[in-house]
Amino acid sequence: MVKVSKSTILEAPVETVWEVLRDFNGHDQWHPIVADSVIEKGWPSDRVGCVRRFHLQDGSELRELLLTLSDADMAFSYCLLDTPVPLLNYVAHVRLAPVTDGDMTFWHWESRFDTPEGREAELKEMVAENVYQGGFDAIRTHLGLARP
Amino acid sequence: MPRVYVSSVIDAPAAKVWERIRDFNGLPRWHPRIRDSRIENGEPADRVGCVRDFHLQNGDRIRERLLGLSDYDMFCTYAILESPMPLTDYVATLRLTPVTDGDRTFAEWTAEFECAESEAEALVTGIGDNVFQAGFAALKRQMLG
Repeated sequence: MVKVSKSTILEAPVETVWEVLRDFNGHDQWHPIVADSVIEKGWPSDRVGCVRRFHLQDGSELRELLLTLSDADMAFSYCLLDTPVPLLNYVAHVRLAPVTDGDMTFWHWESRFDTPEGREAELKEMVAENVYQGGFDAIRTHLGLARP
Repeated sequence: MPRVYVSSVIDAPAAKVWERIRDFNGLPRWHPRIRDSRIENGEPADRVGCVRDFHLQNGDRIRERLLGLSDYDMFCTYAILESPMPLTDYVATLRLTPVTDGDRTFAEWTAEFECAESEAEALVTGIGDNVFQAGFAALKRQMLG
């Protein structure tokens, strides 16, 4: 089992960041690798159990299920249902926390998954850098924030 | 139940900050408000269940029991057994999380306790400012060196 854990500090109030991240269908608005996204069955994107179906820029289609959403903890978790990339048993957790002595935001994004043998390092790097670190950088651009 | 939450970013790797704060008997080495500390019965400071008996700079005495310690998740949970503060059922957790983007540390210090309603605001502010924030400010200064 591979574990990926990435985190960053954003120079914005946590409420501002949460407003963007809590929309399970909003990633095509800010993440550069996501081309388009819909919630299946017309469900609201904050209904736990909803499925987002989206395409990456390269055309591949993925489906992900919202497992947990908490406004109290500013956290959500989701798993991959269908993907052309061999990330198996993939479950991810996102958590925000306020940095109380600076009005900034701590953002933690982590996951665990299995891969075909021999592809652990390559897929770990892809998730950590292209998806998570790429997401951090994209939110900074989306919100007009400076690099730390 | 009143709750205190203070968090900060410390510009040093989490492993380095953890090395400092995992020592349950080490408060006088990094927290400016603590004058001295000892572990009762000569027990090791990382033995869960041990009790630290320490004094603040103003002479107040506090005894606290270590309830949980994790080198894996980098947290320390403890309860107050005796203190001059008008509160009961005080449990606090100090937790570190690595900030991978820049190799820094996100530090969170939380506490929950019971007290008279009229005392709650002053206790939450006092603990948050004088204990938790003062501790983080000291760690930030020390980690620069």
